[in-house]
Amino acid sequence: MGGQRKSSSLRESFLNELSPASSVPEIEELRVRYLGKKGLLTAELKNLGGLPPEQRREAGAALNETKEFIEQALARRKQELKELELRRKLASESIDITLPGSHVRPGHMHPVTQTLEEITDVFVSMGFSVEEGPEVELDYYNFEALNIPKEHPAREMQDTFYVSSDVVLRTHTSPVQVRVMQRKSPPLKFIAPGKVYRCDADISHTPMFHQIEGLMVGEDITFSNLKAVLEALLHRIFSPDVPVRFRPSYFPFTEPSAEVDIGCIFCKGTGCRTCKGSGWIEILGAGMVNPHVFEMVGYDPKQYSGFAFGMGIERITMLKYSIDDIRLFFENDIRFLGQF
Amino acid sequence: MRISFGWLSEFIKPGLSVEKIAHLLTMSGLEVEALETTPNNDVIMEVNVTPNRADCLSILGVVRELSVLTGAQVTLPPARIKTEAETAGPQIKVEIRNPELCRRYSGRVVRNLSIGPSPEWMARRLEDYGIRSINNIVDITNYVLIELGHPLHAFDLNTLKGGRIVVDTADNIYRQIKTLDGVERKLAGNALIIADAEGPVALAGIMGGASTEVEESTTDIFLEAAWFEPVNIRKTAKAFGLSSESSYRFERGADIEIIPYALDRASFLIQELAGGSPGEPVDVYPGKRAVPRCIEVSAARISRLIGTDISREDATGILERLGFAPVWSDSVITSFPPSYRLDVEAEADIVEEVARIYGYDRIPTALPASRLSVPEAMAKMNFVRAARQSVRRSGYSEAINFSFMNPLALDMLSLPPEDARRSAVSLINPLKQEESLLRTTLLPALIENLRHNLQRDLKDIMLTESARVFIKRKKGEQPEERLMLSGISMRNSTYSFWRNGKDEFYAAKGAVEALFDGLRIQDRSFSPSQEPFLHPGKSAEVFISGRRCGFVGVLSPAVREKAEIKGKEEITVFELDLDIIFENLPRASVYRPVPKFPAVERDIALVVDDAVSAAEVIRRIKDYPSKLIESAAVFDLYKGDGIPSGKKSMAFNIRYRAQDRTLTEDEVEQVHEGLIKDLLVHTGGNLR
Ligand SMILES: [Zn+2]
Repeated sequence: MGGQRKSSSLRESFLNELSPASSVPEIEELRVRYLGKKGLLTAELKNLGGLPPEQRREAGAALNETKEFIEQALARRKQELKELELRRKLASESIDITLPGSHVRPGHMHPVTQTLEEITDVFVSMGFSVEEGPEVELDYYNFEALNIPKEHPAREMQDTFYVSSDVVLRTHTSPVQVRVMQRKSPPLKFIAPGKVYRCDADISHTPMFHQIEGLMVGEDITFSNLKAVLEALLHRIFSPDVPVRFRPSYFPFTEPSAEVDIGCIFCKGTGCRTCKGSGWIEILGAGMVNPHVFEMVGYDPKQYSGFAFGMGIERITMLKYSIDDIRLFFENDIRFLGQF
Repeated sequence: MRISFGWLSEFIKPGLSVEKIAHLLTMSGLEVEALETTPNNDVIMEVNVTPNRADCLSILGVVRELSVLTGAQVTLPPARIKTEAETAGPQIKVEIRNPELCRRYSGRVVRNLSIGPSPEWMARRLEDYGIRSINNIVDITNYVLIELGHPLHAFDLNTLKGGRIVVDTADNIYRQIKTLDGVERKLAGNALIIADAEGPVALAGIMGGASTEVEESTTDIFLEAAWFEPVNIRKTAKAFGLSSESSYRFERGADIEIIPYALDRASFLIQELAGGSPGEPVDVYPGKRAVPRCIEVSAARISRLIGTDISREDATGILERLGFAPVWSDSVITSFPPSYRLDVEAEADIVEEVARIYGYDRIPTALPASRLSVPEAMAKMNFVRAARQSVRRSGYSEAINFSFMNPLALDMLSLPPEDARRSAVSLINPLKQEESLLRTTLLPALIENLRHNLQRDLKDIMLTESARVFIKRKKGEQPEERLMLSGISMRNSTYSFWRNGKDEFYAAKGAVEALFDGLRIQDRSFSPSQEPFLHPGKSAEVFISGRRCGFVGVLSPAVREKAEIKGKEEITVFELDLDIIFENLPRASVYRPVPKFPAVERDIALVVDDAVSAAEVIRRIKDYPSKLIESAAVFDLYKGDGIPSGKKSMAFNIRYRAQDRTLTEDEVEQVHEGLIKDLLVHTGGNLR
């Protein structure tokens, strides 16, 4: 019975000493005090030899159990304290996580570029390639090859910047049509995005703006095809249910020619200031390639037909984002650019 | 063209509202841009008449179009006059000396008329057109011009000398004319002139002369109705800077066959409103009536181009209503367009007429059934997009500026006379002097953008632009166009807690390096720049594959001052030639095995003169004759305590590796010792 009693009193005194221990060294101290070579429990175990055999077994079992208890309690406590210390250390390292991150804040893409890329991507996904041409263009490509000879009244439709009598700032991206057709044989389908220039400046005109020109030539290209392709584009750019209408117009390099309107996105067709009460907004010009243009580049108009279209990017962008002054695009105010 | 609904209703009664009529016209090619109610209670349709449709520059033209669209009958206004040859007296003799430029010249003498004010209905109608009523005769010529679209001119017969009219070019015969607007004009070249026996009395088809002007005292007139060649009229009008309602119509092509009717209609109105006795008309028409053009087109062709089957009935009906008198043989239609449809010349015009009257809205949509084609790589487009995106990711927002440049910008940048950027293309007709050149660099515009933003108290301005610049070749030739990518940055309030305190130069250089990294361009170098507008100690020329492709650096204080930019923060700029970069893009990577054996790293800190660049040291390390040196990089720069002034400490990390074994410490140490000695000798520096 003496062994049992000894064990429980050791356990009791151990627990009394453990509870105030608050650091890893204190725990270590306790371990030595009880379980070390000269520890209290070690001493009792050594004393077992002096007991009678039947008491010895009983007391030995009790002491071993207590030893195990103490070892586990110490280990548990040590773990707890380690965690506590880590928590304390981490807490002391706290930073203000509401401060902004240190990445480079990316700049913004110009809204005109966004529209340009968006439209380009729609056509590229339909298999159109992308072509380029010079911005300072020969009169021949800008006008004559497009069936606009000198002294043609259609030249009045576009006020032209001149570099010399034969060199102009292109007034549209249409000369790219001619340059590409001269270089490649049909069938072909491509778009030509780029800057164009008109000698004109007011609230809705700037002397430079962007256009995307498109051309598709093949053996059986029809006006129906033109309608479908442009309708698909406008549905993608604006919304799938925006009404689209085609009405006859005139461009010297297409015939039949069409002006394409979309239902006014501001008033939904009931009439407002933007659409001048008509419920429609003019969005692009298009048509079937004039056979004269084919002849100029050596395509046989009996064999081939094609459609062409051109659209002003600023205008489309203004409609997309409800921008009311075209000049905002070229002021480059960061409060404007930062919105896109 | 303004079209009065009241006037139009005298010709045709389609039984439709003005809104409905406007819609019909719009959807068939005569866009009605606005409806306007006049003070005289008429409604004016503002019709956008495209340059090809000269026939619609009149009430009659729009009426004809409306008749095609609705099938309603046209009633022409009355033109039957009582001719009293006896009282008309001697006629005018007309001589056309240049029948290509004047294919028909008609006229009529009217005597004993009484000049006076026009009746109210006519004055009001002209007023609705913005034309001031002058007297009944002048008003009638204006009235008929609007009504029928054919320009007429009235001469005071008593001031017309010698009873004759000569139509000829000015050349050297006619020197000068005082036109109705009171301007004395010098005549020369191919300007077509109407002259009497003594000299010029009108600029044909453009404006009458002052000497024969109809006035209060006029009793007898000679009324002219003629046809003048469009290009000549246009050239002359342009040369004189004169544009009139008359020239506007002649240069687009007037209807040569309407001349007798227009003359009668005007004479009729004169008899009604001013009395007088009209004489027999003179009509000189040397080429005679033009044979109507005949255009053949197969029905299949029409349907094939439009993309839907247009029935024979539909096509015939449309062409008949247009007055094209279609004749079928087998499946081919032959059309004979009327004299007023000068724009209808070929097959495509017939297709267009059919499509437009049939109605674009009725043509179904069908996506093209096209064959797949070999896709184009579009490498350039993707490259440009990637380059722009990289710069944006470095913090720059995209600007777009006009391609114009102020000539003063070149001085602001202090460019020397021989600099290629001085070879700017100039415009003959710029909108303003500040926009009279084409850009040779994007920098001036970006500096201007910076200033714009600073003036609005904005901070942290980082802008980029990619656009073409234009370098002049020969005068009058197309310039060389190069695609540039530029940036400007002025950061004021970058969070102080993240700011590393390094020069702004490195931020700009970092943007350029990030661009190169993204494009996998390894072969690049930077050397001190001589650009006159950059800070000489904080700027670099940028090279890839040994080719100069641009610059990056801090804007020089002198330029800042000229550009009137305040503030103490450094402004950095860069400009890169994307065309050069595109030409020097590396080819696709080829895989090299990753090293099998570990590397050993060693660091060296050298104290050297300020003038010694990190690039020089690294080059020396790489040139050191040992195959074991794999790479070297600078990782620290220090000036200050413990370092003598004029000197700096730079630390380099060197990585040693062998391809076939693990290096031993001794091996590395041996090479490293040798390298240090070499560097010390070469840089004249010390170990720190
Ligand atoms: Zn609206």
